[in-house]
This record gives sequence, C-alpha cells and structure tokens, in this order.
Amino acid sequence: MTQTTAEQHAGHDHGSAPVRRRARGVHVAWAVGATVVLVALVAVRAVTAETGPWGIPNPVQDLLTLSTSVIIESLPFIMLGIVLSVLVQVWIPESWLLRILPRNPWGRRAVISLFGMFLPVCECGNVPLARGLVRRGFTVPESMTFLIAAPILNPVTIITTHQAFGFDDGILIARLLGGFAIANILGWLFSKHPQPMSLLSGRFAEECRLDDGHGHDRTRREQSLDLFVRESSILMPALVIGSLIAGAIQVIVPRDVLVALGSDPLYSVLAMMVLAFIISVCSNVDAFFILPFASTFLPGSIVTFLVFGPIVDIKMLALMRTTYSTRTLVQLTTIVALLSLALGLVVNYLA
Amino acid sequence: MPDQQRATLWRHVQRWRGVVIIGVMGAITLWLAAVGQLVLYIHPRYILFTVIMSAIAVAAAVLALASPRQHDDEAVAPPSRRSRAVSLAAAGLAVAFTVGMVLIPPATLSTATAEQREINATASDDAETLAAASVADAETVAAFTVREWSTVLRQTSDLAFFDDKPVTALLGFVTADADDPENTFYVSRFAVTCCAVDAQPLGVPVHLPGWAEQYPPDTWVQVSGAFESNPSRTGTQPVVLVPTVVEVVDQPSEPYLF
Repeated sequence: MTQTTAEQHAGHDHGSAPVRRRARGVHVAWAVGATVVLVALVAVRAVTAETGPWGIPNPVQDLLTLSTSVIIESLPFIMLGIVLSVLVQVWIPESWLLRILPRNPWGRRAVISLFGMFLPVCECGNVPLARGLVRRGFTVPESMTFLIAAPILNPVTIITTHQAFGFDDGILIARLLGGFAIANILGWLFSKHPQPMSLLSGRFAEECRLDDGHGHDRTRREQSLDLFVRESSILMPALVIGSLIAGAIQVIVPRDVLVALGSDPLYSVLAMMVLAFIISVCSNVDAFFILPFASTFLPGSIVTFLVFGPIVDIKMLALMRTTYSTRTLVQLTTIVALLSLALGLVVNYLA
Repeated sequence: MPDQQRATLWRHVQRWRGVVIIGVMGAITLWLAAVGQLVLYIHPRYILFTVIMSAIAVAAAVLALASPRQHDDEAVAPPSRRSRAVSLAAAGLAVAFTVGMVLIPPATLSTATAEQREINATASDDAETLAAASVADAETVAAFTVREWSTVLRQTSDLAFFDDKPVTALLGFVTADADDPENTFYVSRFAVTCCAVDAQPLGVPVHLPGWAEQYPPDTWVQVSGAFESNPSRTGTQPVVLVPTVVEVVDQPSEPYLF
C-alpha cells in the first residue's frame, strides 16, 4: 500500500525513474522506522509496568488514572469521527449530501440535526465531522446545529439511554426533544450573524480558505491520510489538555457537595450542570454514569445533565476551540446553559 | 536560532504532534488490552470497540508518516510568536502526558478518590437487591461482594436479618471511616458503569480497633466475620462487620466491580 502511494507521489512530482525509486525507499524507511519505534515503546511500557510504584502521591496518581480513563474512553470515538469525516470529505460525492437537503433554512437545519442517526459518534467524534461539513460548504450555524444534535440524536445514545432509564419520568423523550430543540434554536440564532465565517477560529478559517482549489492533483488515499494528519494534530493536544483539566477538577472538588443539592428543584438542576461540565464523559455512555444518581436527584436535573453534558463540558470546549472562536464558544455556552436550565425546570415541575 | 528555522520547527511540530500522540496512545492501548489492564480504565463492554479503533489509529499513523508530504502549509504565513509559543506548549504538555502513559505504571484508583467521592453516596436498584438477599441461600450469600452487602446495609439495620448470613472472604481495599478513623475502616471497591471517571466507591464498615497498624489504607484484604451492632461511640453506621479473619491479599486483576 505504501509503495503504491509512493510511486504515485513520485510520478506526480518528479517522473524520472531513479528519483522515483529513491522516493519509494524513503517512504518504506519511514514506515519501517515508525513501526520499530512503536514496538520499542511498547517494549519499554512492558518493562516499566513491572518497576512498581514510583512513590507518586495518591491524588496525583488518581489524577493520571482519571485523565487516562477519559482519553482511552474518547480515543476510539475521535478515531471513528476522523474516519467518518474523511469519508464525508473525500469519498462521498458532494452532490449526495447537498441533494437531500431542503432549501428552506429551518428545514435544512432540522434535517442536518438528524444526521446523527446515520453517524453513531459521540460529541468528541463529531468535532472532526462538523469541521468536515464546513469544508464541504455547509454554513457555520448549520455545522453547530449538527454538532449539538448529533451526539444526542444518534442510535447508540438512544439505546444506552433507554437501557438505563426506559421510559421512566419521560427522561428519554425529554432528552431527545430537548436536544433537537436546543440545536435548532441555536442554529437559528447564529444564522442571524452578519458574518458567519468570523465565528470560526482564525486558524480553521484560514484552512477552509486554503482548501478551495487544492488537492485535485492528489489521489484519494493521499488526501485521506493528509486529513488524518491534520485532524489528529488539531484534536489530540486539545483532548489531552481537556482530559487533564477534567481529571484535576475531579480530584479537587468533593462530590458530596453536589449530591447534597439533589432534591431541590432549582439547585439540583444547577448541580447537575456543574457535574456534567466537569465530568466530561461521552454522550454514548453518560446515561450509565448518571443512573446511580437517579435515586437522589430529580428527573429534570437528570435530563439537564443528559442534554447539557454532550454539548458543553471541559473536554468538549477544548475540542471545539479548535474550530470556533472563544467569543462564539462563550455565546454558545451561555445560550445552551440557559436553554437546558429551562428544560430541566420544566421537567421538574411537570414530573 | 534564526526566525526562519524557528518557523520551520514550529511547522513540523504543528504537523506531526497529533500523529505521534495518537499512534503512541493507540499502541499503548493495544498493550493494555493484551495484558488485561484496559479494565483499569474502561468497562469491559467497550474493550472490543476500543481495540479495533486503536488498531486503525496505529495503522493510520504509520501510513501517514510514510506517505508523501503535502507542502501547502508552507504557503501560509506563520502566526505570531506568541500563538506559536502557546501551540508549542500545548504540544509539549500533550507529548509529556503521552510519555507518562509509556513510563508510569498503570494503576487503579486509590483511597484519595474513595474519600473525595464519599463511600456509598449513590446507588440504584436497592429494593430488588434487598429482596433477593433475604431469600438467598448460603452459597449465594458467601459469594456476595461489597456491592451486595453495602446495598443491604443501606436498606436494613435489623440484626435478625444478618443472623444466618456470615461474611465469607469479602474482598476490597482498606479505606478509613471518616467518622471513627481509629476503630473502623471500610472494605471498599469502586463500581464502574462506563469508565474509571464515573467510579463510585462502595464499602462495608469493619470494626477493628487499631486496624491501621496492620492494614494501612490502600491494602487489599479479604475479611470474614459477622454483622453486629456498632460498638463505636462516634461511628454513624448502626451495623458493622466484626471480623474473625482479615487476610492481606494481592490486588486482583479486575479491581473494579462492573
């Protein structure tokens, strides 16, 4: 596989046989080198695992365990998101996606918010996908509608939420309808912005500008690997830093402070928003996380956790910052927080 | 270093940091799965998915390193020195964490988290567990884990209930009781529903004055004994386990309850 890529590349750039052969050699050397380094690192890992405790104090050790846990839980979803994003950008013809969409903006956003039904990815995997949609010509507000709705309105999340709660207290229904409504309201609000491109982070806007008229002379495999390089370069540091902060806050903030607030109609909702913000767990599995709290917390607060958490949390803000400007994220967080607070209060007073 | 070189270095870091991190983390995840330690971080039901996606990540990282470079990013003017510094710092921290995943031995959560999250603060299906426990035969009772006992203890303090239900080799790690740290400790386990982030500490109180000398916190023990009313004056638990045997054991390969 590598050799074919190398040949095609050499063919494009140079053409003469000796140069082509040398280029192929370089690429094979890189592949072998990378594999050797990875095997060596795993060998080091196997040796260091036996060296026993380093005398790391308990809280620091737990911080590392918690952060590693967030990363290992999110990593497969990020990878799946990158793979789907590559499919959408490189392998699926442009007309497919645009043809099925209605012309009217409300209808368009409504359909876009249901894209998640075919893309069973949680929120971290949706970041590369949303970036892919913007590059593919979707508007910035439409990408936000997708980003907010897809982690909630997707088959895996629906199944796990149903497994955890069934139809008790309307939690599942409120989560789905609430997520859909918030995504569409937010998309509509941002569509009123006079210059939607200014909602993006400077670097990503620059990338989108560069994309135009580029990459036509390259094979699809080259384009795919290039996208993988770019997306992982942007997302991985954000994921690590988000996970470290999430781990640190969990080591520092005592859990019982939040649990004590569980039975008050207003404070339980606020406590759950704080918990969702710091826990940073993926939407595909958060229903299992919150299930043990269901006996102490009011249903509205559970719904708020399940709607607010997938959209805004520490890890997600770090990931979204790769795509949207800080100003946009502050506005987005405020709007989503108010809407999910309202949703939680309504459920609490109805249920 | 001249400005030109610095900009080139920045561009290389910017381009390759993600591939390096995702490739190394993927490889370490595969190793964790191979030696059965992935359960320290995630619930067993996610292992297959995690392994498949990690394998794809490793393969993609190797292929990306070996594939021809696209040089379009050189056309872009490098950003300001300050934003380059922020970007380098982020990459440095992320790579340092990745190196930590290679060097620091994998570990289970400790008493620090158990105390911070408050033992037995949350639970589900209480009533069902109690109903099942009241009709359970001796063999089933002997196999009860910290999860079953802690649920039963939250539901009832009726000593008659515990009369014919002795505790046999209850496994867990030692955590001090916050209310009576001299005389009481908890045999505790973390219950995990999705990953270590959501670990809920569960525990059974054990009354053993001066326990800390023999069994310091974080030691894994197996306790046998019977439930009696709490002799402690300051303890808040009505019923505690009074041990006949406390045995120090190795940490089990699956330390969490799933």
